[in-house]
Formats: sequence, structure tokens, C-alpha cells
Amino acid sequence: MLGLLGAARAWAADSAGIAFFEQKIRPVLAEQCYECHSAQAKKLKAGLLLDTKAGWERGGDSGTPVVVPGRPEESLLLRAMQHAEPDLAMPPKQPRLPEATLADFVTWIRMGAPDPRDGGGAVARRADKSWWSLQPLRPAEPPAGPSSDPIDRYIDAALAPQGLTRNPPAPARELVRRMTYDVTGLPPTPAEVAAFARDYALDPARATEALVDRLLASPQYGEQWGRHWLDVVRFGESIGFERNVIIDDLWPFRDYVIASLNADKPFNRFIVEHLAGDVVGKNDPAVEVGTAFLVAGPYDDVSNQDVAAKKNIRAATLDDLITATGGAFLGLTLNCARCHHHKFDPIPTEDYYRLRAAFEGVTHGRRVLATPEERVRFAAATAPLKKAKAALETEKAALDTVIDARAKAELAARLATRHKVDPLLTEERFEPVRTRRLRFVMHASTANPRSAGASRLTEFEVWSAGADSRNVALARHGTQAAGEKSTTAEDFAAAYGPQLVIDGDFGEQWFIGSPAVLTLTFSREETVDRITFRNAKGGDINDEKSRGATPCEYEVQVSADGREWRTVASSEGREPWTLAHGVERLRRTILTPEERRQLTDLASRLGAVERDLKAVPPLREVFAGKFAQPAEPTFVHKGGDPLKPGEPVVPASPAVLAHAVVGYALPADAPEGERRLALARWITRDDNPLPLRVLANRVWQYHFGTGLVDTPSDFGFLGGVPSHPALLDYLADRLRAHGWRLKPLHREILLSATYRQSGLFRPEAARVDHEARLLWRFPPRRLSAEELRDTMLAVSGQLDRRMGGPGFRLYKFTQNNVCTYFPLDEPGPATYRRAVYHQNARASVVDVLSDFDFPDIAFSAPRRVNTTTPLQALTLLNHRFTLDLARALAGRWHGDAAAQVRQAYTDVFQREPTAAELAAAMPLFATYGPVALGRALLNANELLYVE
Amino acid sequence: MTTGLTGVALARLLVQDLFAAGAAPHFPPKAKQVLQIFCPGGASHLDLWDYKPMLEKYHGKPLPGAETEVTFQGKNGNLMKSPWAFAPAGRSGKMISTLLPHMARHVDDMAFIHSMTSRTNTHGPGCIAMNTCFTREGFPSAGAWISYGLGSLNDNLPTFVSIQDLRGEPPNGKANWGNGFLPAQHQAVALAAHQPLRNLGRPAEISAAEEVATRDFLRQANSVHATAHPGYDELRARMAAYELAAKMQLAAPAVSDLSREPAHVHALYGTNDTNALKAAYARNCLLSRRLLEQGVRYVSLYCASRASAVDGLLNWDAHKTLKADYDRHGPIFDQPTAALLTDLKQRGMLADTLVLWCTEFGRMPTHQDGTAGRDHNPDAFTTWMMGAGVKGGVSHGATDDFGRRSVQDVATVYDFHATVLRLLGIDHEKLTYYHNGTNRRLTDVHGHVLERILA
Repeated sequence: MLGLLGAARAWAADSAGIAFFEQKIRPVLAEQCYECHSAQAKKLKAGLLLDTKAGWERGGDSGTPVVVPGRPEESLLLRAMQHAEPDLAMPPKQPRLPEATLADFVTWIRMGAPDPRDGGGAVARRADKSWWSLQPLRPAEPPAGPSSDPIDRYIDAALAPQGLTRNPPAPARELVRRMTYDVTGLPPTPAEVAAFARDYALDPARATEALVDRLLASPQYGEQWGRHWLDVVRFGESIGFERNVIIDDLWPFRDYVIASLNADKPFNRFIVEHLAGDVVGKNDPAVEVGTAFLVAGPYDDVSNQDVAAKKNIRAATLDDLITATGGAFLGLTLNCARCHHHKFDPIPTEDYYRLRAAFEGVTHGRRVLATPEERVRFAAATAPLKKAKAALETEKAALDTVIDARAKAELAARLATRHKVDPLLTEERFEPVRTRRLRFVMHASTANPRSAGASRLTEFEVWSAGADSRNVALARHGTQAAGEKSTTAEDFAAAYGPQLVIDGDFGEQWFIGSPAVLTLTFSREETVDRITFRNAKGGDINDEKSRGATPCEYEVQVSADGREWRTVASSEGREPWTLAHGVERLRRTILTPEERRQLTDLASRLGAVERDLKAVPPLREVFAGKFAQPAEPTFVHKGGDPLKPGEPVVPASPAVLAHAVVGYALPADAPEGERRLALARWITRDDNPLPLRVLANRVWQYHFGTGLVDTPSDFGFLGGVPSHPALLDYLADRLRAHGWRLKPLHREILLSATYRQSGLFRPEAARVDHEARLLWRFPPRRLSAEELRDTMLAVSGQLDRRMGGPGFRLYKFTQNNVCTYFPLDEPGPATYRRAVYHQNARASVVDVLSDFDFPDIAFSAPRRVNTTTPLQALTLLNHRFTLDLARALAGRWHGDAAAQVRQAYTDVFQREPTAAELAAAMPLFATYGPVALGRALLNANELLYVE
Repeated sequence: MTTGLTGVALARLLVQDLFAAGAAPHFPPKAKQVLQIFCPGGASHLDLWDYKPMLEKYHGKPLPGAETEVTFQGKNGNLMKSPWAFAPAGRSGKMISTLLPHMARHVDDMAFIHSMTSRTNTHGPGCIAMNTCFTREGFPSAGAWISYGLGSLNDNLPTFVSIQDLRGEPPNGKANWGNGFLPAQHQAVALAAHQPLRNLGRPAEISAAEEVATRDFLRQANSVHATAHPGYDELRARMAAYELAAKMQLAAPAVSDLSREPAHVHALYGTNDTNALKAAYARNCLLSRRLLEQGVRYVSLYCASRASAVDGLLNWDAHKTLKADYDRHGPIFDQPTAALLTDLKQRGMLADTLVLWCTEFGRMPTHQDGTAGRDHNPDAFTTWMMGAGVKGGVSHGATDDFGRRSVQDVATVYDFHATVLRLLGIDHEKLTYYHNGTNRRLTDVHGHVLERILA
């Protein structure tokens, strides 16, 4: 049973600890036990309090704890609930609680009975301003202890009361693999492992320091830790929601994050750039790009004419910014104060709207990021061309005026002999002609006198001559229709095509493309003398708006061979759709040779200038947001409803921290940029405890797998409480002392004995602390989705290490109003870059990354979930990616079978195989060859887990 | 007990029991499985299910009190009656659109909810709201919640399957069947008669014998590794996942193999219809029944897809040419869906299966200015349920005389899902998951069970 429960825990690693307690345990205690065992109990029974942790630790009248963490079988509370004690069946006078509930208690106790309800008396039902995370940092002297390292002394001080001690140092290979993955996201090379092992044997301390310094200085550090940060700021490269349009110019933000981390940019500056880079770094693209943070979340861009809906959409768009800011920098769930005061934290609803006031002028979109020099250079390059273009256009306009005047005069003289084209039904008759081929060449549409492109047809009919005339164009008679379409739906190939005009159904339309020609091939020669066409969708009302434009200048042609075409009918003689159509028709006939020459000459010169203009590299636009002074002041929305404005609020610091941090308040009409800058400066004040605690905790989390607070973006009442509060403040204080730079903090953590200890499992320690939250061992972990993919590429020698620039895609992307993303079946070497360079579209599923819990970035993902599913196995076994890499991997091995197997283990695991492993691998290798072995090893657990 | 379990048994237990959040039912469950049929595009209540004689009477007249109303796409014209007559159906005499003659035969088993309302007038948010109760993406779909709450009923197929239409994905695509912040095993696996499960098959270049040898080697290597790393249960879990994958490789093609069905069943569904879209949807209907039979917990079946360059072409979004659009979509939907219901009933599967019909919102009783179509209407739409635990031949709530607004016993997507969970034995207020600062629920902080339609 132990194994099963343990496995379940591992499978749902994110629901550990406090969250488990909150979901499974607390409700049962409150519902079943508090009536008799809480401060509110009318009559407290047996002196036992179950509404605080201290209560069950103290126990009831017996004076012994009723819960023994790690030991369900010794926990009286559980035994009473199980009816396993002779005279103690709880809750009284009731059948046993459901088995699943009892199983939850077993699980919880085995977890170490995590319980956040500290405080001796009544249980707080919500946090007030005395909540731990809202207090100023209280760095204290580290506890006493044998270790010279303060971090180790904090850890040891928490282990000792549980009777636990840290593991001995990790062996060299374990340590170098762990550190290399941790800092760079990649495995060490076999040579690096060997070299480190050598150096470590000689002088462990020096070797470790050298390793840490090398890794922190490597550019891959920024790729790995930049990826972590991109998770936190919900960075996604499509807009999400219904249209989910891809964003091709957000990658500069990803590069900026990587470069900033590699440069060890102080995080307070980094945060200011995120919120107000355009203000502090005006005209410096490297700084301005930071504001892409504001607009990196999903938003709804579907146009909406309904006023209430528009306001709701705007409110939801700004909510994303407020949520992201609160979570990423402050660890506050400010968004919970949108409709009412926060239910659990001391955040008044006004605080939410104070932040909204800061972001009121932000809209999603792109802006030019360029230096003044770039702007000058661009203007200098384009100005003369624009001038030349304008001159040519003036010249052409003058010529057109002369020609058009003559055409108009001529048009007045020529009376139309026939009716206008009728979109609902137009007929052209001609002398009977025998043909297998007929085409409809369209010159103009009702919307455009110069082109029929983008107009539409519902049906096109060709009628046989003589009695019993029938439509020979119908597809069911074997006729084929060919023609271009102006729009596509790639996953639904039949949409919009020319076959729709010969299907005998007046429903769907052909969207006419360019060239605007419909070519029909009959199944046999037919004698025909009439065509009809229509652009009408049926229904009572049928207007241009719904049916689109209709072709109205055309020729009907036939051909014996499909090469030479003869016109048998045309729109000639019909009343033109508009004067402009008539003029355009006449222009085809009344031009003088000189005018024709002049027009051709002008067109070619204009074309040349336009080409030159296009050739000037444009100023770079980046999806970094647009800013405008808000037109209206900000109001509280009563109940979160934008149609119910309440009190006005000004851009100001949130009151939740007023007792701890000096605040600010700007006038209601403060300039837009100043609002964001003021917020940024307030967040990054050295006396603001939250950002430092939150950031230090994130660093710890990514090093050890779990943060000291296991809800990294929620330091409020429903979040976890720190496992080592004093250590958290110590780390936050160190971060401040290092000028908000991460690398010195990484270095201190990586060099601690706590970090360097082995992952060795000790059952007696696990009984007390299964998850090793207290760090009696280094907790093993599975690779992240990106680490796995990068590792497979690295060990097979295929990893393309080029940094930066536009991302690669593991999907095919199509757009037909809305966008659809199809996973790639054949990801070739163009996709062999590190996964951080994948262009992550929202709501897309791609192989390997999605399987291994790459989050859907609709929200910030401050902590990855970790699942184990059969679909992962199917992907890693069967996808082309594995097969291609297995082949590449096997191609690196040489020599006899044993030598190749040795190389295989060295390449994939950075170690030699044991004799037993060698023996086990030989038959597979001998029978099915090296690729089979490569495929198996790429699927092995040893590849996927680090300790 | 730990060491005695084989990998497969371990996997089976893991899948069936331990994924479940609240394995103990809060109520006696009436349904074990769910079939959700979704017609995206805002399928018109006024042209399918919600009979409004006043709309016929006042056709061409302004909607009283709302002569200049502006909705999603703009101005509205006068009232417009349905292009299809309504006729009484079943013993209950329920008035149903003659556009759906096959579906009309099932009205005595259906419980209509005529007073639905949505918080949004936009397709994407509307679709995900119907599936997740939130208009913003990133929340778990009802199917994912149910997978999380109840776990799996089988050990060789996914728990939650989403079947998309041949025409493509519905508005907001994968957000409709995602796990949101729940662990990834709760997301739907996308599968359709025209689209097999991804990466399911053994690659052509690998022989069956090589596959066996590779897996044997892998199992042994992983076993050695796991033994050397005690106290890390995930290693064994991942080995079990490989065994499970192998079972899935056998089971999934078998369940998708429609050729095993007799000709009369194919004829009932219309899988060989000359209308390729109808035939494709019919095959998906048949696939749905086979998946339910094999113990898939939640099947989500789509009929039509997303918004396209032309309103109403790919889905039920008839902004401009209602008659032409629904003359296309109606027949695709009608016979195959009705056949699926008939088939489920004949096999006794409705005893355990709850059937839901959904769309994101309704449509206006007026025509859209200058067109013969209807604009979006989040203030009124119809959904229905039938099968396990549902009273047949009843209606909950009503819209006003013209179908403009829900006015009687107004219902929400929260109520809808609270009812679904109740039928599955779950108290919608107790199925929770902690995420970014809150214990989240499928029904957010709302929802009342629609008691009237419970059997």
C-alpha cells in the first residue's frame, strides 16, 4: 500500500502538503469534528482541539499527540475514525466516514501531516495585516551549528527536532549532472563528467567552485533560467482566445529575458523595465522591449458592437495584466479583489483598481523599437524615395484625368443596349458552339472596377442548345471546374473552391482568386448557346453585404485544345455597374498609342520606386504594447461589473502593504507612463519585503524542486506557509545585499552542503519526511519538457546551439479568420534548437513538449505540474523525433558490438555500462542493430530523471 | 502488497482509483458516463427547439421596446420567424422544428432547458464557458474535472475523449477540452473516425519482434534503475505507463474500427451518406457509442467547427443567411445524432450514460440589419439532457414570447454543470482544486442543481 500511495503522490506532485490539507483534511475536520473539538465548540470534548495544529500536537486530556506525522498506524485521530480503537469511534454515533476520506487522512499523515493552522487559539479564517509575508524582512543571525555555511545551519536546525540529518556529499557524477541540468538545462558531456570526477577527487571544494563558476558564466544559464521566468510571466506567442492569431514579433522579449539573466541584470531594474521600459529607456530598444511583459498574456480581439460586451472584454484584458503583475512580482492574488474585498487576504477591492489605474492606458499591439540613429537613418533612406513616388503619382493622376474625361464623354455617347449584371441571375446568349471547354474570364467585380479578385459566385450554369436545354456544367454530369480561390480553410479543403459553382446547390460560394478565371471541362463535347451565373445565397433578404461582390465585367470563351481561346460572349453592351466600371471598360479601347506608352512607362517607374522602398529595412516593430493617456478616470467596478462604476480611484500603491512600505498616490489624471513607473518603483523599493521574498523563493524552488513556500506566486492565506521562514528571510536579505542580482545567490545555494548532498534514499528518514521538504536528501526530479527534448538532441549530437532570433515551430499553422495549430509529424533538423526557442502558441498541442507538461500559457505557470501518462510513452516510442535521433545517436558509435554499447551508455548517461548492462544490451544490439538500442535508451528512466 | 503487484495491476489501480479526487460520491450516482454533443456557432434555439408562435404572428414587425438594439455584429432589423415550421412530436407533443425530423422522435426522453443564459456574446469565450464555466481560457473542461473527480472506468483507453468535426476544431479549439491547471492526464485525448490517436501506432520501420525485444530490454533496464533508486515511486509509475501504452495500442484501434459494425447499424447512422460531412459526423457518432461501450468516461462530440471567413459556413453561426446555412447543418446533425440516441437506448446504455446537448449561446428573434440571419443572443438559449437520472419529456424554464430573453427559472452554465455533477454523484461545491490562490471549482462560485429535470 505504501508504494501505491507514494506513487500517487509523485503523480500529482503539485497537490502536496498544504494544498492537500486544505482540500481534503480541513473540510472534514471542520464538518465532522469542530462541533466538539474547536474553540467554537459549545462544550469542548476530551479537551481536544482540532482547529489548530497545536491542538492535535498537544493532544486531548491524555496529553499525547493524536496525530503522529508519518505514522498513521500510531495516530489516535485516525484510529478513532477507523473505529479501530475499542471504545473510541469517531465521529460519534455515526457509521464510519467513507473509505476515501479515511484514505485521505492516511495519505496526509504519511506526508508528515502538513497543517498551516498555527496560532494557539481560534483558527484565523483569513489573513490580516499581521500575515507573515506582509511583514518587513526580519533577517536574523543564522542558528548555531557545526557548518560554516548559514544555509546549512538553517536546514540543520529544522532537521534536528525531527531526528533527521543531511545526507553525505553526492558522488562526483551525480553532482555534476545535477548542477549542469539545474544551471543550464542540459546534460554535461561525457568529457565534462570525466574531467569533473578527476578534479573532484583531487580537491572537492575547488572543483565544485570551478564548476559553479563555469556554469553560471555559460550562456546556457540564461536559456534555462530565462525559461523559468517566461513561465512566471505567462509568455505565449499567440493571442489566445477565439482567433488565437500567432505573434511573430514577441521573440525579442524572450531574447531580452535570456540576455538580462546572462548579464545578471539586477532584478529590481528588470522589473522596472517590465512595467515601464518605455519610460526609463526611451529610444533604447534593449530596455523598451521589457514592456512586452504587459502584453504577453492572452486577450480577446474579436470585434464586438455590443457596448457592455466591449467593456467586459476590456476589463478582462486589463485583469490579465493585474493578475500577472500581482503574481509575478508580489506573490499576491490581487485578481481575487476584482469583485469584492479579497476573501482571505487584507486586499481591499480598491487595490485592484489602483493597479488598473496604472495600466489603464495599455493596449495590446506592436510599436517601433528603434534608436534615434536608426530612425534618422530610416528617414534618410526613405524620404527621397517617397518624394519620387509622390511625383510619379501626380504625373499619373494628371494623365488619368485626361483619359478619364475622354472616356466619360465617349461613354455618354455610347448607349448601353442591355441591362446591368444582376447578381441574383445574369444570362449571356451566344451562337451555338460545340466544345468540351468553356471558361469565364472576369475583369471586374461590383466592388472593384479593375479586378474581379475576391468577388464570389454561387453557381455557374452552361446550357445546351436546342429543345430540352439542360445545364451541362453540373458536376454530376462529369464536369470539372478549375480556378483559384481567395481564401482557404486548410483543415477543410473543400471550403471556398470553384467546385461549389457547379454543385447544383445555391448555398456555398466560390471565393474567386487570382487570376479570376473559371475553367470548365465537360465530360464530352456539348453544343451550348447560353450561360447563366448567380451570386445569391438564398433567403428572403439578399444583399451585397452578405453575398459579397459579384463579377460584372467578363468574357465567355471556348477552346478546342485548351490553349487557344475564342470569345463567344461578354459584358460588352451591358450598362456598366458604375460610371467607374464604364470608364474602365472604355479605357481598354480608347487609349492612344502615346498614352499607352506613357502609362506603361509610369507603371514601371512606380513599380521600381515601390520596390526600392520595400527594400529599405523597416524599423523593427515588437509586440511590446501601445500606450495612450486614458480618456477617463478609473472607478471601482461594483461586483466586478464594469457597467456599475463605484468610487473613483487614483493610480496609487496598494493599501495591503501600507503598514510596511512607503506608498504613493498620483493625481487621477497623472501621465500614463508615470503611473506604471511609480508602481514599478514602489514594487522594487528595498523595503518592500514581498518581491524579495517571492524572488528568493523562486530561486530556491528551481534549485530544489519545491520552494520554501510551495505556492510560489501566492504568499497569501491560501498559499503555503514557509517550511523555513527564517531561511526565506535570510535569502531575501542576501538578494537585497547582492543588489537584487541572482548569480551571487545561486552561487551561495549551489555551494551549500545542503545542495551538494547526495540523493540517497533512507527509509527511516522518509518515514518522517517522505517528500524531503526538510532536505535530509537532495530530492530527485524528472526533467522538464524542455530539458527532456534538449537532452535527447544533445546526447545524439544533434542540438543546434544557436541562440536568439525568431523561434522555430513544432506545428503547422493555418489561418481562416481564426487560427489552428496542427502538430508536426516530421520535425526535421530545423527544429533541433533548444526548446526555449520554440514559438509557443497558446492552445496548441505539440509532441514531446505538451506530453511532458509544458503548460498551456493561458496563466502564469509558476510551478510545473509533473504527470506520468501512457501518451508520453507512445510519443517517445513512436514519434519521428525519437526515431530520427535514435538513428543519429547510433551513427556516432564505432567498433565492435561491445565497444558500441559502451559508447551508447557513455553518450546517453555519461557513464560506462556495468557488465550486467553490457550483457543485457548485447542481444538487442546484435539482433536489431544500434538504432534499436538508441531508441530504447532514449526511452529509459535514467535519461529522464536526475538526482 | 507493493512488491507483489505487477506493473499492469499497479497501473490499473493507479488509473482507476488514485486519480480520483473525491472517490467517495457525495450523492448516489445516477450516471457513470457522459456523452456531450456540442453544436458550435451558437445554434439557434428559435429554429431548433424553442417554439415561439408570437414570432410567426409578428414576423416583420419591430421587436417591442428594442427597435434600435445593437448586438454583437451591429444593428438589428425586425422580428423574423423561423424558416421552418414547428410540429408536435412524441407523446408529450413537444413542438420541434421540422428541420430535425429524426431528433423529434426522442423528445419524450429529453429534458429541455429553455432558459439558458451566457455571460458572453462571443463564440470563443462562449464555447469555453459552456465547457469550463469560465469565459477566459486556462480553466479545466467539465470532462477534465470529471476525470479528476471520478477517474477512469477502463484500463486501456483514455478517460476523456474529444471528437472533432471533419470541418475542424470548435471556437477556441483545444481550450474546450484542456485540463487547465489540473494535471495533464485529465485532458481529453483528441480522436475521431477520420483522425486516429496521435503516435499510437508502432512505426512502420520497426518489426513486431523488434518492438517486443526493445520493450523487454527497456523494462529490464528500468527495473534495475528503479531498484537502485528506492523511494522514488514515480520510476515504477512510468514503467507502468509503458505497459498501459501497450494495452492502449491494442484497444484504441479496435474501438475505432467501425468495420466491425453490421451494415444495418451503418445505415441507421448514415455513415455512407453521399453528403461527405454528414457521413463523417455519422462515423463520429458511431465511434462515440463504441467508446462509451468500452468505458470511456466522458465523450465530447462536436458537430461543426469554428467561425470562418464566411459566417455560418463551417458552423451554426447563421448571421446572414439562416435558411441556406441551416439547410446545410441541420441534415448533417439530425439523422446521425438521432441514430446514436436510438442505439444507446436500444442497448440499454442510457441507464448509465448521461447525454448532453450544448451550444455557446442562442440567437436573436430579429434578423440582422440588411440580412436574413440572426445575431448572437447570450440572453436566451436552449440545451437539453437525457439518459441516466434525467426525467424525459420535460422542460425547465422559458424565454419570453419572442425568445429574446430567458425569463422564467433562468439557468446558467453553472447550473447546467452543477446538475451534471449531481447526476454523477458529485456535489459541485465540493469538487475543488487549489490553483494560484484559490480552491477552484468547475462551477466557480455559482450554480444550483436544476432539480426539476432529475428523474
